[in-house]
Amino acid sequence: MRLVVDLNRCQGYAQCAFLAPDVFAMHGEESLLYNPHAEEAQREQVLRAATACPVQAILVEDTDEAPATMGEGLSGVR
Amino acid sequence: MTQEMLLRQIIDYANRADPYPLYTELRKKPVRQEGDELFVVSTYWEIKSLLHDPRISSDARNLSPGAAGTLLQEEEDSPLPPAFLRLDPPEHDRLRRMAMRPFGPPETPRRVYNMRGELARIVDDLIDGFGDRKEVDIVDDFSYPFPVTVICRLLGIPREDEARFHSWADIIAAGLDPDPGGDPGEQRRATHEARTELGMYLSGLIDERSGAPGDDMLSALVTQQGPDGQMSRMEVLSTAALLLIAGHETTVNLITNGTLTLLRNPDVLERLRNDSRLAVPLVEELLRFEPPVQLLPQRTTLADIDIAGTTIPEGASVWLVLAAGNRDPQRFPDPDRFDPDRPDIQHLGFGSGIHNCFGAPLARLEAQLALTALAHRLDGPRLLDDPPPYRQNAVLRGPRHLNIAFDGLRS
Ligand code: HEM
Repeated sequence: MRLVVDLNRCQGYAQCAFLAPDVFAMHGEESLLYNPHAEEAQREQVLRAATACPVQAILVEDTDEAPATMGEGLSGVR
Repeated sequence: MTQEMLLRQIIDYANRADPYPLYTELRKKPVRQEGDELFVVSTYWEIKSLLHDPRISSDARNLSPGAAGTLLQEEEDSPLPPAFLRLDPPEHDRLRRMAMRPFGPPETPRRVYNMRGELARIVDDLIDGFGDRKEVDIVDDFSYPFPVTVICRLLGIPREDEARFHSWADIIAAGLDPDPGGDPGEQRRATHEARTELGMYLSGLIDERSGAPGDDMLSALVTQQGPDGQMSRMEVLSTAALLLIAGHETTVNLITNGTLTLLRNPDVLERLRNDSRLAVPLVEELLRFEPPVQLLPQRTTLADIDIAGTTIPEGASVWLVLAAGNRDPQRFPDPDRFDPDRPDIQHLGFGSGIHNCFGAPLARLEAQLALTALAHRLDGPRLLDDPPPYRQNAVLRGPRHLNIAFDGLRS
């Protein structure tokens, strides 16, 4: 599955990193690291995170592509 | 209706079961002045902007004398120092960061996530405890004991001490909910005593853990060495007590309000029974529709603030009515409808800005697991009283009892 975090909206509440720790990680207090091609097995975690995001910055889409490794999404927030 | 009457009506116990029409009235004037020094804010964007405004303080020491406490009973003096809930930056930020290190990301991303299995077991044990009964009180038998047990496990309270911990939590919670027939002085004394005993108990445990740390959160708070240094023993104490107090009544009310709302909306209950993934958006909608913290009555202004055509002067007391903002039609279409399928649900149930609920990820999991388990395991559940009897408290609003009947338990 594919997901995108709108880093302009993200304010570092870190709910995603609590609820889907296999997909989202905080890097320091202010930047978010995430896997934009999360594995299908992590769908439930990802949906929990997307729903709980207080600024609704996580967009989730279906695809069949092969999962990539964590790290591609490294980005600063705030 | 005069403003004064409106606020008194909101506090009035007679309106506890359904304060929402009063909030609709309140929103007609987004920022209302009550007396000289109290301002009540009830619309979504105004609340949100004040929660993100550094000119708003949470520190009681900034409150001008006499501003607060005329309508709401003030918290009795606590033997513990204020924890970060009642502090401003930079003290707030330092203490919150230090409390977060052993609780969540980046340092401890899996503590809450890894509690899932244990939380599910606690919930199942509580439901098993219904035994052969066909009627239970969801508050006393289920939603009340659950969050205290969770905080005990989080902090690493030894199992044999959990019962004592529960009894202190009960007394402290009762202190937040004055019994109209009771003796207020007596209740205040009991609360003070429970807080002191809790403090002494935690203090002993802190000594023990600093010598022989375990992998619990209390040990980590005591022993941590980070960029912010170490927490003093008083800071560990007040932080641990804050976790207990802030995470108790609130979570009880979320689970109870959730059960009540599901029983009033049997189609949603049926959907949850068939698909536990619904629990996730359902809990968010509950935090909008029936928020356990109805209003934040403890803010004060550090400067004059112009908002919605009103100037709130420096030193005023400000109430932010989260529950009214959550039903603001300018923000949420058809706001009085309970709809777990809302595509956009940025509620104020956990506050917003620097004081946004520290325990939100844990509270979310607790409520999701509790409501899913009830939906799965209760056969033919129905309400015995609607509306149920409510607690006195207008701020931490929720049923005192929720008596339900059912045909049996599924395994
Ligand atoms: C459904 C359950 C809960 C609700 C509705 C809730 C709601 C809130 C709200 C509205 C605030 C903001 C207060 C303010 O701005 O003055 C808050 C803060 C806080 N909550 Fe919660 N809470 C819940 C559960 C928990 C739990 C389980 C814990 C602990 C594990 C917790 C710990 C805290 C703490 C420590 C703060 C202070 C944060 C700060 O000042 O930075 N809460 N909560």
